[in-house]
Amino acid sequence: MGLRSFFGILPPKLFYKDVSAPVELLPVPEKITLLWYRRTPSDLAVGVGTEVETGQDLARNGRGPFVSTVTGHVDEVNTFLGVDSREYLAVQISADQKDNFDPSLPAVEDLSEAKPETLRASVNRAGFTALKSIIRDPRVWPAIDALIISVLDLDPLSIVNQQIFRDNTDQVQAAVELLARTTEASRCVLAVPDNLAGIASKVSTGAATVAMVPPVYPNGLPEILAKNCGAGLLMKTYDTGFAGNTVVVSLEHALAMVSSLQTGRPMLEKTVTFSSGKGELQNFRVRIGTPVGEILKRASVNPQPKGKLILNGTMRGYACFSDEQPITATTESVHVQEPSEVFFFQNTQCTNCGKCNAICPVDLEVNLLGRLSEYGIYDKCRGLGIENCVECGLCGYVCPASRPLVQFLTRAKQGLSEEAQEPAGMEEALECNACGPVCPAIRLFDTESDKEDSPKA
Amino acid sequence: MKALDLTVSPAPHCHCGARITRVSYNILLALIPAMAMGFYYYGFDALRVVAASMGSAMLAEAAIQSILRKPITIADGSAAVSGLLLALILPASVPLYLVVVANFVGIVVGKQCFGGLGANPLNPALVGWAVIRITRAWAGYLDFDLALVNYETGFILQYPLAVLKAQGSAGVAHFSLMDLFLGKQVGGIGSSAIIWLLLGGLYLVVRGVIRWEIPLSFLIGVAVIAGIFWLGDRTSYGSPIFNILAGNVMIGAFFLSTDNASSPVNQWGMLVFGFCCGAMTVVLRSWSIYPDGVVFACLLMNLFVPLLDKIKKKQPLPPALSPVTPPVMSKSAEERSAS
Repeated sequence: MGLRSFFGILPPKLFYKDVSAPVELLPVPEKITLLWYRRTPSDLAVGVGTEVETGQDLARNGRGPFVSTVTGHVDEVNTFLGVDSREYLAVQISADQKDNFDPSLPAVEDLSEAKPETLRASVNRAGFTALKSIIRDPRVWPAIDALIISVLDLDPLSIVNQQIFRDNTDQVQAAVELLARTTEASRCVLAVPDNLAGIASKVSTGAATVAMVPPVYPNGLPEILAKNCGAGLLMKTYDTGFAGNTVVVSLEHALAMVSSLQTGRPMLEKTVTFSSGKGELQNFRVRIGTPVGEILKRASVNPQPKGKLILNGTMRGYACFSDEQPITATTESVHVQEPSEVFFFQNTQCTNCGKCNAICPVDLEVNLLGRLSEYGIYDKCRGLGIENCVECGLCGYVCPASRPLVQFLTRAKQGLSEEAQEPAGMEEALECNACGPVCPAIRLFDTESDKEDSPKA
Repeated sequence: MKALDLTVSPAPHCHCGARITRVSYNILLALIPAMAMGFYYYGFDALRVVAASMGSAMLAEAAIQSILRKPITIADGSAAVSGLLLALILPASVPLYLVVVANFVGIVVGKQCFGGLGANPLNPALVGWAVIRITRAWAGYLDFDLALVNYETGFILQYPLAVLKAQGSAGVAHFSLMDLFLGKQVGGIGSSAIIWLLLGGLYLVVRGVIRWEIPLSFLIGVAVIAGIFWLGDRTSYGSPIFNILAGNVMIGAFFLSTDNASSPVNQWGMLVFGFCCGAMTVVLRSWSIYPDGVVFACLLMNLFVPLLDKIKKKQPLPPALSPVTPPVMSKSAEERSAS
């Protein structure tokens, strides 16, 4: 990524790349790894050695769907710590080059007449984990107010959706219409970056409106798209409920879903953009589950010792420690940094320069939030609107003191949600008083005198 | 999974390249022309004040940090900047021990006591200057008319603001505004080089080192309030242009009031801060015993920064959660008839 320009009167802008790179299909690798979030081997219907077919649901009845993307046999089943530090169940499959498609996944007959429930059930069966939020039962979940199909990519170094829009312009209209029917959204928006206005003018989108979006990061993030082109808030679920009624789907997932409805085949391949410090951006289409190493091999780039291998972009992505990390349905890009490009955060104080406030897309007071979180004062963060943070990473990108601002804000959010889940056990603590003598705040030690001093109500 | 020898760290994985050191070094760069003007007019005397001031500021920072067993951060340049700023608002003839004492007090009391760079509520250079000014035995050294009486500079050796205070606007009629603008006036080593401070300040604004809000509103504040005084009584008070071009206003607007830690971060806060600094400057010039009020105006407004930081856009409330309701199952015909 480039350094800031000589002129700094305005905050630096990160533009999405306006380049075209043809998508190259990579062959099926010898081994693939499928990841399933927070599951155990008991959720699987298959074990080591089982032969599986492409599109077969590997989940035990009712726990899935968890779809195999290749034909072969299961090699290994174990737990796996993903790059995002979450526990996954990993199923390793030795893949054959030839695909036998599982016949139990039929195409939807008579697509133009099918009911939304039928469409949703079919999409659900095909295992679109990335589309979970749009195929919910509207009897349980609130109605979707705005459905946004995004041609923008999540990261400035990714050109996946742009390229798919360039290559498959003729399929966009069908996808938009079918998706609008499937989700029963009250309005449908196709978000297109300004630089593709020429292509967008050729697409007739029917009921959907086309929103032109300046190709500046973070305009492609779902939360920002929802704010700028949707009903205001992105639909999110929490343990205690949900909020928002806009959903955002990337064009690639929308097209994959349409093809799944037409052919009955689940989403098997994912397009990712490969980039390194030098050289052009390259697009590769790989089987979901392919190790990142295959892409590195094809691009003939080897991460150097102490360098970085980053999935999902430099602004919000995760650094990997191995080239066996599999590509998942939500992997957008692979980036390799040389050791000299690696950026390190520093444990320095905030100098109150306000660069983070100026660049924050949701107008947070990042300088204040960062310091409050640094010293663990989470409850004050809530009043400053910390829940609105979209973790775009721009505050950390511009901080002259190299402070890990995104991590401070994430920590505060986590701290707040932990506090919300803590049982109100204060009364019990006052009763036993065992913690009193060691309490650093000397708060509980003087409970009796506190009670006497407190004014009688 | 086989681990490779790779660096693993959290996002974002790239950075725009801004550094604290670059902020400080850009300010030093922007101050070089004004400093050079001081060397040109006052020669070796100015050089020794600047050297002693920057050296003692960095020494003070290193000393207090080593006593407190903190990492020594003089390489970030912030101590050098505050030392240079203090030197530039002092007259060239000031004794060196005063410079050293002022810097030690400024850095230790004004900055490191509060936790170092970023935590200082007051600009350390201004704290150092104020200590000299309010100490009765030392205040005389800051009287420019007395301090610079022995120099041969080629312009009128009278401090314009002192003349204005003593004789009213008739006394300053012989000061050409162009001479004031070109820096041909008695004042601090660098603070009188108005045109060079303006150019240096504009360079910093363009580079994004300082924001434009504070300097602009500072100058507007001076002009508006000075204009009100001037329209009310043209014999006692100077014109707005004279007020901007004389004394410390230019260095105050671009360099003294824009210290990151002791100025607001939000746009409206900065505008109010700058305007009040400028307004307070003119009020102090007009009604206080001091000929110039920039330093005390900035120090006073520094104290209001936490309050001014509360001027901000209202944040939308976090999304209200709606509970998830179980699906309403339609009753079958038998159930309906049974009930």
